[in-house]
Amino acid sequence: MAANNWNHHIPVVLLLVILWCTTTQGIWLDLPESGTKCVSEDIHNNVVVLADYSVINHQEDSHLHPAATISVKVTSPYGNNLHHNENATHGQFAFTTTESGNYLACFWVDGNHRAGDRLTVSLDWRVGIAAKDWESVAKKEKIEGVEFELTKLEGAVEAIHENLIYLKNREAEMREVSEKTNARVAWFSIMSLGVCIGASVLQVWYLQRFFHKKKLI
Amino acid sequence: MFHTILIIVFMSCLLISNVVGIRFVIDREECLSITVDYEGDTVYVSFVVIKAESPWHFTEDGVDLVIKGPSGDRVFDMHDKTSQKHDFIAHKKGLYHFCFTNKSPYHETIDFDVHVGHFAYHDQHAKDEHFKPLFDLIAKLEEALYNIQFEQHWLQAENDRQAVVNEKMGKRAVHKALIESAALIGASVLQVYLLQRLFERKLGLSRV
Repeated sequence: MAANNWNHHIPVVLLLVILWCTTTQGIWLDLPESGTKCVSEDIHNNVVVLADYSVINHQEDSHLHPAATISVKVTSPYGNNLHHNENATHGQFAFTTTESGNYLACFWVDGNHRAGDRLTVSLDWRVGIAAKDWESVAKKEKIEGVEFELTKLEGAVEAIHENLIYLKNREAEMREVSEKTNARVAWFSIMSLGVCIGASVLQVWYLQRFFHKKKLI
Repeated sequence: MFHTILIIVFMSCLLISNVVGIRFVIDREECLSITVDYEGDTVYVSFVVIKAESPWHFTEDGVDLVIKGPSGDRVFDMHDKTSQKHDFIAHKKGLYHFCFTNKSPYHETIDFDVHVGHFAYHDQHAKDEHFKPLFDLIAKLEEALYNIQFEQHWLQAENDRQAVVNEKMGKRAVHKALIESAALIGASVLQVYLLQRLFERKLGLSRV
């Protein structure tokens, strides 16, 4: 009997503990009363992005006045709209990137709130390996304990390796730009010098002709 | 069985670390906050100024960062830095504020990364002594890996900054050469014109 009771309670306890662990994360942004606040991140192709945002109410009498609402817009580097929400106090969005570049999430305050409220938005933004749902992986693969922890670490190490390869490629591109700049500085300096010499030769020739014409030489 | 599961769940919660990396555009002042859940956590923070949105950026202005604790006390501050990494131990739990101040008249893009690493010990449920040292070591390993990810993020931001600087340098080299040539040609034309005018006047006076 007691064992059955425990079996019923285990999932609830697990769920509560996991929720407790995951609700206290994220960064808090202060929203200005007018204008938008945008945060961005440079994300490469084929990466899972998971984000959660909610309005934090600082006022003591928050139960008397309705909470202010915000609007969110998430755009891809090429301008595609990935998520758009108006008049919300909380929400989430998830997508897999198809383009590599700067992804932008913009927040702004809707017009219907008291002036003087300090609006704070809590944004929990996870990219790549941090967005992976480890609980479902554990359930699907039926692993637990040490094996589960080590699988998570293996995922983290792979993410680090991929990141390093990406950094290496970026540096190779940068090296090419540097070499090109080096070559450009050399060639354009010679061109500048050539223009200077050419201009002075033209000057001398023109003035000689001028003085010939005026019968001075 | 139940105890093992509970240990596993607690351990996996312990190993969830708070890592955030975002980029934002700063106008004058910008404040971000993060909650630190446990006393004694180490907070690693890094920022890099990616670019300043001005066509001709003469001086290496940086931004100021002031870190304030939950009760408003100033934990750390640094002035006029374009890139910095710092870590400190959070003695109190609560909301920590990171406030950036931009002194230059232009907008700047800042890449900000903060990582709260905690390493708590939960012995009340660890009935199985055989596993505890192993979990501790795994926790240490995970902490080290998150640290590596944090450093990598900073390195990536530094690389981005250098990429922007390099591109600007390339464009500047070309612009400089073109403007210099144009100035030279202009100066020589002006010289010729002035000399012509001078001699024509002098000749005009003497021949009349």
